[in-house]
Amino acid sequence: MSSTPLTPGMAAEPARERPTRTAEFEKRLAKRYRAERNFRALGLGAIGLSIAALIFLLANMLINGIPGLQRAELAVEIDFAEAGVTGDEVSLTAPSAMQVLELQGLPEVVDLYAERSLGEEGAEEIYKDAWRDVARALAEDPALIYGSATLWLPASSDLASGLNDEGSSEMQALADRLQAEGKLAKNWDMGFFARSDATSPQMAGIWGALKGSILTMLVTFALAFPVGILAALYLEEYAPKNRWTDLIEVSINNLAAVPSIIFGLLGLAVFLTLFPNLRSTPIIGGMTLALMTMPVIVISGRNAIKAVPPSIRDGALAVGASPVQVVFHHVLPLALPGMLTGTIIGMARALGETAPLILIGMRAFVATPPDGFTAPATVLPMQIFLWSDEIDRGFVERTSATIIVLLLFLLLMNGIAIYLRNKFEKTW
Amino acid sequence: MTVIHENMEDTGAKMKARDVSVFYGDNKAIDSVSIDISPDYVTAFIGPSGCGKSTFLRCFNRMNDTISTARVTGSIELEGENILGDAMDVVQLRARVGMVFQKPNPFPKSIYDNIAYGPKIHGLAEKKADLDVIVEKSLTRAGLWDEVKDRLADSGTALSGGQQQRLCIARAIAVDPEVILMDEPASALDPIATAKIEELIDELSGRYAIVIVTHSMQQAARVSQRTAFFHLGKMVEYGPTSDIFTNPIEERTKDYITGRYG
Repeated sequence: MSSTPLTPGMAAEPARERPTRTAEFEKRLAKRYRAERNFRALGLGAIGLSIAALIFLLANMLINGIPGLQRAELAVEIDFAEAGVTGDEVSLTAPSAMQVLELQGLPEVVDLYAERSLGEEGAEEIYKDAWRDVARALAEDPALIYGSATLWLPASSDLASGLNDEGSSEMQALADRLQAEGKLAKNWDMGFFARSDATSPQMAGIWGALKGSILTMLVTFALAFPVGILAALYLEEYAPKNRWTDLIEVSINNLAAVPSIIFGLLGLAVFLTLFPNLRSTPIIGGMTLALMTMPVIVISGRNAIKAVPPSIRDGALAVGASPVQVVFHHVLPLALPGMLTGTIIGMARALGETAPLILIGMRAFVATPPDGFTAPATVLPMQIFLWSDEIDRGFVERTSATIIVLLLFLLLMNGIAIYLRNKFEKTW
Repeated sequence: MTVIHENMEDTGAKMKARDVSVFYGDNKAIDSVSIDISPDYVTAFIGPSGCGKSTFLRCFNRMNDTISTARVTGSIELEGENILGDAMDVVQLRARVGMVFQKPNPFPKSIYDNIAYGPKIHGLAEKKADLDVIVEKSLTRAGLWDEVKDRLADSGTALSGGQQQRLCIARAIAVDPEVILMDEPASALDPIATAKIEELIDELSGRYAIVIVTHSMQQAARVSQRTAFFHLGKMVEYGPTSDIFTNPIEERTKDYITGRYG
């Protein structure tokens, strides 16, 4: 604006400063900007700290976990033709192949050739059931039986420690010698994903625990998702607002905050009393975890329903939709992305849960993968918990590898949920 | 006391409200209003903010049912049948008495599905071809067909505000109602879009009984043939629009239309 005074009175005091143009004002302004800069710096610092923690965690897991995906193996050259082990494509791939080969003396043959390849000392450090690996190799490639082949067989866990420069000095020396001869090496162990728990870290795998986790999560999802969504829909759309529904709301909120081990006690007291034969099974584990997950789904589901604009409901009612049609044609599709977000948070928590499962017996040593919802099983976090308790150093690496698998499983679950959420997300 | 102009008693009235009162809890929002809605005219409800005109409008298709504290007394007849009674099926009522809201509220679905939704849930179309006919007819009547015929699969929410409101009108007429209630249908729109909506109301009158709530007196004067003036929950005056605006009987009506308050 021009400096022309509006009234003669104002012209009389030209020296008077406007309140927003004084030095004090500029000082206050600078203070406001400083406060903003400080706040941004604090926020950046917080984010940086969490990213650093995350990177540290992931890097640590990766560095520790990669050796867990490897296994110390000894190279043994076996001449099957010379040893007189016979068979053909049909017999070697038959289910009875293991017994047939055992009767033909395969275990002794493997010992003999191990001694030839590795010397007496080295042969002792072949894993005692290594001949089973040989039998599996033959089943995979029956042609091997007509000639000789060099097979990598698992070393004993003592020798594996020696290879890591741990354990007794004799073992370390032996490991160094065999490694120098090229007969001992750490090889990628894809069998880790196919085997189950074992007494030796060399033979341990996570397929049993992974399958147990998948089955348990399926049960949890199948129970918690529909029940949670229906409960949320009923409470939001149909339930009258009175003291009873207030009580239910408070109870559900409290249920979501109950320590998980309490749900384990509930599972023990109720489910295992009703079905005593199903101890340690995915179905009981899933039911227990569903109890824990359901309140989270109900709470997030109700919030998602509340976020659906009332104008959409009015629009649907005004063309003559019945209340159920309003819910299923309009409210549910719009609330589903939010519901899925809540579900995934609940499921992720359930996936990482051990405490309630200890109480219903899922901490058992299960050496075979569960073949159904009613077979004894363990789950990934429980496997981590069990292995982390082992004295054998090899299990520590296996533990880290299992954690990586658990994180990948979690990532996959989240990925699916995000995909579904984006697919259903709509704007209004 | 309500002043009703001469010759307003309508034997062929589509809807007859008698002594309708609406309570929100203990608060009386509408006090004993009686009015006849003619099928041949556009009826406008005018009045200052908070006078209860929208609340009263929402009685005609029982949208007040969605507000748990609201209570409606009196009677409203739709062709002789009391719609406030328990015998009235509210789903059927809303199919017969459509509504357009203040803020355009298309469903977050395609333009086609927005229109087809009502006919689909009421089973008005047996084949897809029948549904296509209804969609085209409704959009044509709402003056939107030429603008959207090439993008029926686009989301209804992607249209402009005025187009969205015409989409909502098309959605309401797709189930072929007898009455259309409009709650300030142009208040969220710019002048050009408003003009289009008003033109549309003009074209639709006669085919449907139309009741429009508006806070714009000019709009009431332009689109309606009958006007009811509401103040503080009471209907003050009801008469032909031209009389209400040029020759009001009540002092309060005169004050309102001359801009003394509102």
